[in-house]
Amino acid sequence: MDFYVNALLGVLTFGPIMAMVGATILGVFIGALPGLNPVMAIALLLPLTYAMDPLVALGMVAGIYNGSMYGGAIPSILLRIPGTPASIATTFDGFPMAQRGEASKALKVACYSSAIGGIASAIALMTVGPLLAKVTLLFGPAEYFWIAVFGMASVGVMVGSDPVKGLMAALLGLWIGTMGLDNLSGQARYTFDQTWLLGGMPLIVVLVGLYALPPVLQLAEKSDFKGLSAAALKLQAVPFKKGELRRLIPTWFRASGIGISVGILPGAGGNVAAFLSYNTAKNADEDPASFGKGNPKGVAAAECGNNADNAASMIPALALGIPGNVVAALVLSALVIHGLQPGPQLFQQNPVLVGGFMMEMLLTSLLILCLGGALATRVFAQFQRLPGVLLVPSILILMCVGVYVINGRPVDLWVMLFAGIAGYFLEKVNVPLAPIILGMILGPMAEQSVRRALLISRGDATELLTRPISAVLAVATVLVILWPIQKALRNKRSASRKAD
Amino acid sequence: MDRQQDVVLGAFFVVFGLSAAWGATSYSGASGIYPLVLGLLLALTGAIVAVKAVRATAATERVLIDAPVKFCTTIAIAVVYVALVVPLGFYTASFLLMLALPLALGFRRLVYALIMGTVFTSIVFLVFSVFLERPFPREVILTLFGSGG
Repeated sequence: MDFYVNALLGVLTFGPIMAMVGATILGVFIGALPGLNPVMAIALLLPLTYAMDPLVALGMVAGIYNGSMYGGAIPSILLRIPGTPASIATTFDGFPMAQRGEASKALKVACYSSAIGGIASAIALMTVGPLLAKVTLLFGPAEYFWIAVFGMASVGVMVGSDPVKGLMAALLGLWIGTMGLDNLSGQARYTFDQTWLLGGMPLIVVLVGLYALPPVLQLAEKSDFKGLSAAALKLQAVPFKKGELRRLIPTWFRASGIGISVGILPGAGGNVAAFLSYNTAKNADEDPASFGKGNPKGVAAAECGNNADNAASMIPALALGIPGNVVAALVLSALVIHGLQPGPQLFQQNPVLVGGFMMEMLLTSLLILCLGGALATRVFAQFQRLPGVLLVPSILILMCVGVYVINGRPVDLWVMLFAGIAGYFLEKVNVPLAPIILGMILGPMAEQSVRRALLISRGDATELLTRPISAVLAVATVLVILWPIQKALRNKRSASRKAD
Repeated sequence: MDRQQDVVLGAFFVVFGLSAAWGATSYSGASGIYPLVLGLLLALTGAIVAVKAVRATAATERVLIDAPVKFCTTIAIAVVYVALVVPLGFYTASFLLMLALPLALGFRRLVYALIMGTVFTSIVFLVFSVFLERPFPREVILTLFGSGG
């Protein structure tokens, strides 16, 4: 109980409250602009949080994450353009509702559903996270090593369409993580006589480049010169019928459960949660044919599902150091920036910070109820009148200023540009970017843990496999890698059988 | 198209991984083993990607760059912008970027771009230089007028 009380006291101060309110508003705005997404926004934000108190920085991350996941519903409903990938399922019923003049009602359903999904997810994080962290007290260097390897293998294999490319991306991240001075021996590795590389490849610079530049380049390629007309953004107030909101309660329960379960699984994201919730709501409904034609339950399921994924994806990230999705990987980066090592020790060493972040995820979900809805949407939707082509240099400038203020080194701007261009092409050839960042974060932990374990066992490598927990984790890692191979072989066999 | 791209991608990672592994052989003791293994695994996964692409029967169309001219224009202007940040100063270079990039991409409402450029650069200045007090490269305009920056 003390854990939560201390965390709440830490959060309910001027700095974190202002950060949460401001970031939630900013998050809704970012989600409402197609082309911008929460990942990009958090990547842009992280360099600016260097000098801030960690609770203020994490409050901003929580606000942007929850706010933008709701904000994505605004263009999905008004224009059938998903503001974020997780709000694709919202278009199915949100846009038909808007077409028959019920945009305001659809936006209210999206707002309530997002808030309920977010709150349920935060409660799951606050209850399951600390329990999982207690189990990790039994861990030694060998277990930490396998946790890092398991995290990278599962995210590498499950993110993206090709498991081999996912593993390749994770290995690339691990390799980048070896650059600079080796902490144990002092050996300079892959520094190419550049003194700025002695501290290693700057994580945040690579992160901003990889996640923020590709969407900017895509915006430039689209070159929208006009923005939207005022007429397209006109809303008409439509009240709820008697009992209409009450009938959404079973949908909210189901979608919250699905979103939380998907969030805990490494590799799956908000879009998977939204689609699964939508399909379940459709199958469970007495009139499934009404889905896709403007059924409010469709909007409720999709929005509740994608927001229920948010805080739940932080459970493996905070307790084990394994992020459930890209935003969780960015949260781990935020912790690294503030000198904190993600993983099991975090709960013991920084309980106020971890608990505070959990509270911030809960409070920013509640804030959506106040800051979302039709009235706020009228304001945020106006930003869609801005020509997209003007956003390109604006975001580029924010990226550069964010990266420059970290170390005051012009070379970082070149690194960011290079990482961004590489990220653009890697994404195009279906190489996922999340495992690269994850490899950079977990790589040093994996290397130091394995070397410590070997030092303790005086070079006996069997130590990595003979301890019960590390043996279980090793087997789980092998299974995670073999599972897609077995699946591919089975598909191939059934395809050849069909051909015969 | 996607097969060719995957062959090139796989081959790149084979060369990259082997180079990384070769570089790791010059590091002493345990600090070389880990990057050596990573380099070899990178080369292995690259080889698998390339071999899979060569053996694939169905080929699908995957466009690498949707609008090559606009893509190259944006990259070129971004490179010039980064190169000018130190000699011109951050805010001068940023204001010029706000004008040059939209115009180069075909935006013809100069006054709109000018207003956006002025407003946006001013906001960035107020937030980072006035409120957060972050140091940036000296503005060339201020140097010309003989004052600090």
